[in-house]
Amino acid sequence: MTADTVSSPIPYSDAALEFRREIRDWLARNAPEDLRGVRAVPRMPSPELKPHLDRWASTLAEAGLMCVAWPREYGGRGLSGVEVAIMNEEFDRAGVPRLTRGMGESLVGPAIITHATEEQKQRLLPPIISGEHDYCQGFSEPGAGSDLAGLRTRGVVDGTELVINGQKVWTSGYYKANMLFCLVRTDPEAPPHKGISYVLLPIERDGRSNGVEFRPITRINGAALFAETFLTDARAPLDNVIGGLNQGWRVAMTTLGSERGGSATTQHVAFERQFWRLVEKVRERGLLGDVRVREQLAWAYSRIQVIRANGLGLTAELAAGRSGGGLANGSTSKIRWSEFQRAMTEMAMDLLGPDALVTGPDYQLDEWQEEFLVTRSHTIWGGTAEVQRNIVAERALGLPKEPRPAKGVTS
Amino acid sequence: MSLEITAEQEALRETSRRFLSEATPLSRVREVMATDTVFDTELWTRMATELGALGLAVPEELGGAGLGYPEVSYLAEEAGRALAPGALLATAGLAVPALMAGNERARARLLPRIVDGAAVGAVAWLDPGADWSSTSPPTRAARDGHGWTLTGDTSPVLDGAVADVLLVLAEHPQGPTVFSVEPDQAGVTRTPLPGLDQTRGLARVELDGAAAEPVSAPGAGRAMVTTALDHANVVLASEMVGGAQACLDMSVEYAKEREQFGRPIGAFQAVKHKCAEVLVEVEGARSMTRYAAWCASHNTAELPTASAIAKATAAEAYFRAAAENVQIHGGIGFTWEHDAHLYFKRAKTSQMLFGDTGAYRRHVADLIGI
Ligand SMILES: Cc1cc2nc3c(=O)[nH]c(=O)nc-3n(C[C@H](O)[C@H](O)[C@H](O)COP(=O)(O)OP(=O)(O)OC[C@H]3O[C@@H](n4cnc5c(N)ncnc54)[C@H](O)[C@@H]3O)c2cc1C
Ligand SMILES: Cc1cc2nc3c(=O)[nH]c(=O)nc-3n(C[C@H](O)[C@H](O)[C@H](O)COP(=O)(O)OP(=O)(O)OC[C@H]3O[C@@H](n4cnc5c(N)ncnc54)[C@H](O)[C@@H]3O)c2cc1C
Repeated sequence: MTADTVSSPIPYSDAALEFRREIRDWLARNAPEDLRGVRAVPRMPSPELKPHLDRWASTLAEAGLMCVAWPREYGGRGLSGVEVAIMNEEFDRAGVPRLTRGMGESLVGPAIITHATEEQKQRLLPPIISGEHDYCQGFSEPGAGSDLAGLRTRGVVDGTELVINGQKVWTSGYYKANMLFCLVRTDPEAPPHKGISYVLLPIERDGRSNGVEFRPITRINGAALFAETFLTDARAPLDNVIGGLNQGWRVAMTTLGSERGGSATTQHVAFERQFWRLVEKVRERGLLGDVRVREQLAWAYSRIQVIRANGLGLTAELAAGRSGGGLANGSTSKIRWSEFQRAMTEMAMDLLGPDALVTGPDYQLDEWQEEFLVTRSHTIWGGTAEVQRNIVAERALGLPKEPRPAKGVTS
Repeated sequence: MSLEITAEQEALRETSRRFLSEATPLSRVREVMATDTVFDTELWTRMATELGALGLAVPEELGGAGLGYPEVSYLAEEAGRALAPGALLATAGLAVPALMAGNERARARLLPRIVDGAAVGAVAWLDPGADWSSTSPPTRAARDGHGWTLTGDTSPVLDGAVADVLLVLAEHPQGPTVFSVEPDQAGVTRTPLPGLDQTRGLARVELDGAAAEPVSAPGAGRAMVTTALDHANVVLASEMVGGAQACLDMSVEYAKEREQFGRPIGAFQAVKHKCAEVLVEVEGARSMTRYAAWCASHNTAELPTASAIAKATAAEAYFRAAAENVQIHGGIGFTWEHDAHLYFKRAKTSQMLFGDTGAYRRHVADLIGI
């Protein structure tokens, strides 16, 4: 990305260019050699890699480079979407991972910043930045997926605490988390959206279990990266309810609306690297002369360029001080990249031939087998592809809304 | 200049949309459709003089506005939305960029006439019956005293029947070369061809010793046609984005008002999701086209790939939008009276123009070096 040339597609301000220089200089001095080339961090890093990542994360936190989109007064840097994009570009350029504090940074933080009291902000935000609090998400339940407002996990006030009973499911990252941000029903009489609270629940208290039990669920690729979560008399201080008792729905909407910003100009980079790796594989197999194969590969490359152009256009608008994109841009982008990735990896399997039929021992998958399987989830989590289509049709095109359940949810 | 849309560009888009909806509503398009040449002379003159449509990307010293392809693209998008008949693609898309790459004499002689609307431009490089990928020039150049003459047939030529400036690829001792031919002379025969898409003019042009002047350097004709196509694909993609948007708008409007089973048909996900999918495709095509238009003015190294991708992407989006529009309209969408078929035909023929989607994918594969 040659951002400082005269023909940059993004109208960077002088301040933005200055910021790029600052980050570039800082990385030149601080980027760790031991992580050079590690651009994407594995979901479950190996015991050898983990200490290196932890050290880098602390360095970033100390330098004020964690939670950078949060306001300065809460320990962030108040970066705009354009500046976050610049940061992503510079980290990519330096070849080191831009670590974040995961769901705490991208989902919980924005909800706290928008809806919590000042006392809660002072108490709950710093531990996210330092890494002391690592969050996992307890929204989905066996009976409440797309229709999240149908959730039944109960929260009952007991003095200064909320006592929680029920079951969550598909809890990603449970294995490293020590906090669960969850939605619980605190008023079963109220209409579905009105009786829900958003609470931050410690997974252990004073070194002892807090009634939170995870039962790992093995994913489609053989890895136990999410879990069923059983809550039995789990206790959270009422002070950890964000946005007020029974006011949790709008807090949850802030969380769900906090799609990772700033990836617009860099998202295509990983896709493009993957594309060229595939081209190499296909070249090794001697298939690059096949016209149909060439058309398929060019299709994939073209879709990546569409994703890139869309990101550049959005960022250009943001840099010019306008809110880019249409009314449902988060949804249209998600549909575009998630469905592209599915199709691209299906195609890769075809192109890799007989080799792709065989895994390593213990179901060890190669990159393509792994991606072929994992990309199926991108059209499920964070609002399924069908729900995204509903959102696009209703918000951007004004088509009739889906029917809402007529009666409330009973517990 | 970067990629964001400026207030001036926004204004140009608005002005163009208002102008075209008043000057060439679909009722007028249908009248022009019924003529041999599919050309509205008055509209052409007004587009040139009132909108400055043909000189947007032409430097001021040659009579143009000295703007760039982003501006051409916004105008073309509106023309595509309106199905405006006329030679915008042939002139602003093909002839102007070809001339800009030509020799100084041809530029100075021909561009000002094109810009002020006095002359329609067209570019001809195909042997009748040949595939778009054919590279053999359709005509031969011969020395004639101090000048040159061309002989040979070429077809289909976009707006070839109404062009006042014909730029023709010819075999030349030093390799393929582009010449300009004035059509009003004895050696030129032009026959309008009835098109599947009746909103675009196509013609067969027969040259028999027609006087001609070189426009490209000797042997540089094929490169000139390639450059012209790189730009034309930006204009064509823009038209297709506008047409696709028009189809989506029609679909959504109809889906809200047409009721069956006691509900607007837009309440059924089978219809609702189609509309959402079309929006996703159109939005992607628009982003890609906008980027390609930006490349045409600000990053020419990337133009060939970007414009090829924009062409194929916009073509797919347009066809999808136009086909779903027919489907969403049910029986009425299958009629001559309804406008859906005008867009459907324009969509498919635009997709085929200059090479189908597969051809453009193969082209992209070559360009990125795989
Ligand atoms: C990899 C992965 C990680 C996840 N991590 C977490 C996590 O950490 N925490 C958490 O709380 N949740 C998590 N989830 C859960 C995720 O949010 C849900 O899977 C998602 O909301 C869909 O819910 P569901 O699985 O119950 O499917 P359902 O809602 O039952 O949907 C089943 C099918 O019906 C369709 N459908 C449903 N409603 C409609 C409608 N109105 N219109 C059209 N079609 C409809 C869906 O699109 C889908 O195809 C994760 C999921 C995955 C796959
Ligand atoms: C060539 C042709 C010949 C015909 N010949 C005859 C004939 O001889 N005699 C005769 O009586 N009729 C005839 N018809 C009419 C034909 O049966 C109707 O066009 C057809 O039933 C669709 O009705 P419609 O056109 O009113 O569309 P609509 O019913 O208004 O449908 C419009 C759109 O909404 C969709 N839609 C409607 N309801 C739903 C739903 N519940 N779920 C999802 N999507 C929905 C449709 O699929 C369509 O895409 C003919 C039609 C054609 C095109």
